[in-house]
Amino acid sequence: MLNASIVKTTSFHSVVGESSVIAPNGEKKNRNIVADLLLTALIDAFSILVIFLLMSFSSTGELLMMGKNMELPKASADMLERNPVVKLDNGKLFLEDKEVTADGLVQALLDLRKNFLETRPGEEFPAILTVQADRRAKYEQLSGIVQASAHAGFSDIKFAVVLK
Amino acid sequence: MRKRHKHLEFEINLIPAIDLLSVCICFLLLTAVWLHVGALNVKQAVGGQPASETAKKPTVWAQINAQGDVTLDVKDSRVPAKLAKVKIAGKDGKLNLDGIRDVAMQLKAAEPALTTVLIQPQAATVYEDIIDVMDQFKKQGLIDLGVSPL
Repeated sequence: MLNASIVKTTSFHSVVGESSVIAPNGEKKNRNIVADLLLTALIDAFSILVIFLLMSFSSTGELLMMGKNMELPKASADMLERNPVVKLDNGKLFLEDKEVTADGLVQALLDLRKNFLETRPGEEFPAILTVQADRRAKYEQLSGIVQASAHAGFSDIKFAVVLK
Repeated sequence: MRKRHKHLEFEINLIPAIDLLSVCICFLLLTAVWLHVGALNVKQAVGGQPASETAKKPTVWAQINAQGDVTLDVKDSRVPAKLAKVKIAGKDGKLNLDGIRDVAMQLKAAEPALTTVLIQPQAATVYEDIIDVMDQFKKQGLIDLGVSPL
């Protein structure tokens, strides 16, 4: 059967095979040391891995960078889209990973809107803000973000949650 | 007549398949997202339209305190008096989510046009509680959610 196999036809004579181990006396025999591996089980395992990984595939990628100590609350929600992100991490505020003060958040959001309108004239500003905060945070820390977004004209707030 | 022996056995070359699957696995491992993040939408009142000119819609005002008590106050609606103002006491300092769900269900049944909920948390209210309350309302069809600042 080995003789008929495709491995036989595509293999070449091994240098090792013609030397000490197989032919210790240096005899020149046409002996092949080709072994037939059973690859079906490997293909099965690979296929299952690919299916599992395809299920956890996301075309949008990671939209939020999560700190080590940050836990998002859980809820059944819609899919997250790419919008400006305000992050509350250990009492500090970050707008698009750039630290801002609570007082400076309104101005930073207004600058964001201004930049958008300058770079994309004619397009309507989406006015959507994503808020990322730890589930144990108190509302007194979040209220500033809600107020700032209203002042800067962001009519929609999307609270980032882990999907249930 | 001579019988010709025809070999019907053949082997498929599996090496390209393995190569392809290996590349697929590497690509998918790099792009896999292990934490599925979603977004809970909240509408903010932005604009200069006076309250007197705004069309009145049935609205639920939900106050949440730090002890997990939730007080629901339904305004501009024809819901029965017993549902117009409801207090759902918390359980061991946590929200009574089943109670909130039941009341939300009754409110929706009594007033199908009711879709708006305004959440009024206190300073010490935990963010997770606010999200849980909004989640319960959203599940019952009260989809226009808002949060009032302090």
